[in-house]
Amino acid sequence: MTDMDKINSNRMYLDVHVIQTVPPSNINRDDTGSPKTCTYGGAVRARVSSQSWKRAIRTYFGEEFSEDELSTRTYKIVELVANRIVEYDSTIEFEDAVDMAVKVIKKGEIKLDGKSKKGEPDKIPESKYLFFLSTKQSKNLAKLAIDGEYSENDVKNALKAGCGIDLALFGRMVADDPSLNVDASSQVAHAISTHRVQPEYDFYTAVDEMSPDDNKGAGMMGTIEFDSSTLYRYATVALHELCSQLSDDKDTTSEVAAAFIKSMALSMPTGKQNTFANRTVPDSIFVSLRSDQPINLVGAFESPIQQSSNGYVTSSVERLAEKEEEVCSTFAESPLKTWWIGKKPASKTSMSMGEAMEEIKSFILSEL
Amino acid sequence: MATLLMRLAGPMQSWGGDVKFGRRMTERQPTKSGVLGLVASALGRRRDDDISDLSQLRFGVRIDQPGKLLRDYHTIQWEGGKYSNKFSDISERYYLSDAVFLAGLEGDEELLKKIDVALAKPVFPLYLGRRSCPPEGQISLGMRPGCLEDSIRGEGWQASEWYRSKSASMVYLEVIEDSDNGAILSRDLPLSFSQKHRKYTFRTSSDDVEAVKIDNMESRQITDHDAMATLRGGR
Repeated sequence: MTDMDKINSNRMYLDVHVIQTVPPSNINRDDTGSPKTCTYGGAVRARVSSQSWKRAIRTYFGEEFSEDELSTRTYKIVELVANRIVEYDSTIEFEDAVDMAVKVIKKGEIKLDGKSKKGEPDKIPESKYLFFLSTKQSKNLAKLAIDGEYSENDVKNALKAGCGIDLALFGRMVADDPSLNVDASSQVAHAISTHRVQPEYDFYTAVDEMSPDDNKGAGMMGTIEFDSSTLYRYATVALHELCSQLSDDKDTTSEVAAAFIKSMALSMPTGKQNTFANRTVPDSIFVSLRSDQPINLVGAFESPIQQSSNGYVTSSVERLAEKEEEVCSTFAESPLKTWWIGKKPASKTSMSMGEAMEEIKSFILSEL
Repeated sequence: MATLLMRLAGPMQSWGGDVKFGRRMTERQPTKSGVLGLVASALGRRRDDDISDLSQLRFGVRIDQPGKLLRDYHTIQWEGGKYSNKFSDISERYYLSDAVFLAGLEGDEELLKKIDVALAKPVFPLYLGRRSCPPEGQISLGMRPGCLEDSIRGEGWQASEWYRSKSASMVYLEVIEDSDNGAILSRDLPLSFSQKHRKYTFRTSSDDVEAVKIDNMESRQITDHDAMATLRGGR
């Protein structure tokens, strides 16, 4: 395929834009305990890192699909494969299954660790780094192990086939064998607030209930830093690439796309949940299916939204819509179709999540 | 001969030079490898595909808005439990926030035309150094008939309005570009993006610190300040 063939080939991008207010909370902290920030348009913004929300999405995603279609990220790949071996053949002792698992994994040139110290019970070896193993792949390895006869290539192929849905979406990196790497078809940006933010400090004291009456002092005191903010969150999925990673299965691709939107909307990174109880749902979701390029609309907020009696949400939603119109009438094409869920700009209509999901799924199925 | 100009901007970007291990720094400006990687993505080149035609392009970048260095504390938590303080892997990743760059690629006109089209219709999603950094706004500014040096110096200032009004009335923009006898040696010329064997070789570039002088008409910097005015009973 020439370059021009590729450029002119069919593609479909799923852009998901979310406006979400997170009340006083500290869902994403750095090593000093402060909420993460970023400067944009000369103003400090609250930030939730891409990696933290991606993980929350992955976890939520896991609940949308059966274990069979997903992957696990773990050091304990030997234990995982050993469990599969025993599932297939319950006559095999777990200890033997562990040995079989070690053998098949080592054949694939994946480095294992975990020599047990003297006097300690034998530890099950683990991989030296976190490994993304899909259920299908662990089953493939188990079958090979039980079979007994296999080459290095057989193991490598077992690790490449049956790409878990989440692996296809979020990618995989394997230090020992980069040929097992999977490039993600999704892209999740760092989330930043649409307005300027000022981290606040909650000065707290805690009383020791058993201290004598004449002791007026607090048992413990300190400060927790927190901020509240309206975030702009953006993610895109290259549906044409996802489809090819899922062996051109359009049905599954449309299911995965809908699940991705839902996970993106309803997941929440879990920092300091017990303190702030900050599980919120988005104020507004704007979904756009495009045939040219993904469009990040963060430029709408480069000039930070000013404080007003209306709060930040209404202005954020209006600005987002304005920016999209501006972009689509200048350097980008008009989208194939768009949906607003939740709060919407004055000139548009919105629908419920459920209705939107159904429409999006059928659109992708027919147009991809 | 022609040059393709690109505007690289977004809330965050990260252009790693030689970065492995826990501390992932960023250069002050986009790297040739990073930008050629972005171009390859747009063209739909896979990691194992040949990129020698791209590596032959000459590259330069102008720092229109330098941005701020941002340090992100990045942790990886292994499967097995609720959110805990136990992290299996910690790294510090640096980004440039609030920066705007003008990048130029000079070379074969047919190839540049293809790239121009591809940047508006990329086969894979594009990113500014790291996957979490999607670009903002129009990327390709189009073709220019001249050489790299002239095109990159002749283009209008791409910095944002707020930055321009905050800046002085006389602004100097820095240009770092490929140069055969340049003083800067960096391993920043990609030969292969293959996962099995990523290969980079050396490139020489020169740093022209005051390459472009801008008469900043939008400057709202107050330069006349009479500190003694209030003491004298004035305003």
